[in-house]
Amino acid sequence: MQKMTVVLTLISWTILAIYLTPFIWMIGTSFKPIGEWGGPHLLPQNPTLRNYEELATGGIYGVRGHFPPITRYLINSIITASVVALLTTLFGSMTAYAIQRYRVGGSTFASWILSLRMIPPVAILLPLVLMTRFLGIYNTLTGLIFVYPVIALPITTWFMIGSFKSIPREADEAALLDGCTELQAFYRIVLPQSITGLATAATFAFLFCWCEFLIPLLLAPSESTMPLTVFAAYFSNQYGILWGPLSAAAIVIAIPVILIAIIIQKYIVRGLTLGFIR
Amino acid sequence: MKIKAVTWLVIPTLVMLLALVLYPTIYLWYMAFNSYHPARDPHPIFVGLKNFGILIRDSEASYAILTMLALVGITIPAQLVLGSLLAMLFTAKNTRGKLGLRVLLLLPMMIPAVIIGLNWKMIFFSKGPLNAFLSLLGVSPQPWLSEPFGDPYLTLFSIAILDIWQWTPFITIAVISGIESAPKEVYEAASLDGASEIQILWHLILPMIKGIIVIILLLRIIDSLKIFDIIYMLTFGGPGNITTTFPFQIYKTGFTLTSAHPDIGYASLLSLVLLAISTCIAMIIMKLFHIEKLIWE
Repeated sequence: MQKMTVVLTLISWTILAIYLTPFIWMIGTSFKPIGEWGGPHLLPQNPTLRNYEELATGGIYGVRGHFPPITRYLINSIITASVVALLTTLFGSMTAYAIQRYRVGGSTFASWILSLRMIPPVAILLPLVLMTRFLGIYNTLTGLIFVYPVIALPITTWFMIGSFKSIPREADEAALLDGCTELQAFYRIVLPQSITGLATAATFAFLFCWCEFLIPLLLAPSESTMPLTVFAAYFSNQYGILWGPLSAAAIVIAIPVILIAIIIQKYIVRGLTLGFIR
Repeated sequence: MKIKAVTWLVIPTLVMLLALVLYPTIYLWYMAFNSYHPARDPHPIFVGLKNFGILIRDSEASYAILTMLALVGITIPAQLVLGSLLAMLFTAKNTRGKLGLRVLLLLPMMIPAVIIGLNWKMIFFSKGPLNAFLSLLGVSPQPWLSEPFGDPYLTLFSIAILDIWQWTPFITIAVISGIESAPKEVYEAASLDGASEIQILWHLILPMIKGIIVIILLLRIIDSLKIFDIIYMLTFGGPGNITTTFPFQIYKTGFTLTSAHPDIGYASLLSLVLLAISTCIAMIIMKLFHIEKLIWE
């Protein structure tokens, strides 16, 4: 039995290590000096922090390209993703309560919201680009905050429906008998009981906005408004790819995602399968 | 009739989604009957069914749909097999460090797809690590992304490898949660009766997670309709249009100047086709899985 444990554990972790080699490669490259970028070694021979330093201050590589400091894009990403996460968690939980407790809109409304989670954004982006141009918010952070809910709102609504479902009805029904209105029962009884659910929904919304590439690529492509994901594409152009700073930028983008993955790992399946699998 | 107070709660969501989804859909329908190139025309020109005629004869668009189906056909079976095997290994009684395994395995599908694309551009690079590794095994280097000249279909295969790598963890994690949601007593009773772990898996667990496998399959199909970032970073739909899947075809038609029909009218029609495909699959999912039950029971 003991032997079996050692063997299975060893096999599992070896497979995982091989599986994640691309990431290990990326981490290694982020510490490689320019001469080693295309080289065959997994880990840097002469490790350096230069790539990270240049990421913070901006870098120039002659014809191979240049890039501005990362700070601004980090801020852009944090602002848009946080605002959208808060907004859509608020609106999403309100909608979820009305749907789950009072069947507002019936199953048609609920299925419509769910189906929105499944639509490829590229299919509706053309009108949205024209619309933001018309509203004068094309190429602004406001424009991104305006459009991101199209991916975030269905997620938070669905997640909160699941959370409210797991809170027993008796609690808010008792409050209604005590003379609370439905709205009071919502924010006095149901909301305080679903703090974990709210936090997780907001985290999911944040994650999806943080990772979004296509929407900002089309809506906010200028050097001052693009988020980190679009900035990362900056390092690759027709003259070549700045592997070192690119890998460093990738690590910066990935770190919050890894932290979030650890925090919400219990809920990930539910979040990613729209609540079909718990 | 007096509107109930709770109804007001859905108003912000409703307004936002109407503006962000319903209005664009109506606009797409309107534009599908027009020809409009913003740089050339002051306003859209009504052309009737002309765009539909172009669509029927558009070999690029039908090729893009075929590419999308081919990718789904290659990747999903591979992901189901690999993902289920990994799930069994990771839930085996004797495997240690289960939580760590699970969280780390999530990374490929949680890290932004752009980063994955750039990461693999490095891996697939002609003098990159994959070829370096293959040469250790005595295999000659392959032009994974067809640089400079190689079999263009190898590029499509490379995209498939990447997609399998990225999304196998999804299957694994979902199957794991299926295995774990099965009642514990069943295993105990079975193992008392002397059934081996493999027998338990095959006869008890597999039937139980069948429903899960169906839903995963449908969700994977839906998700593969969204593959964009990877293709943008890795191949930009090339070489030629070998790796141009349908969403990328819409991007090329409506948002760049490199296409043969840089026309918002025609791009709108293509968008509608994609919307129709994804809506059909979404409806199948919701029919199959009784969302009434999911929400209210």
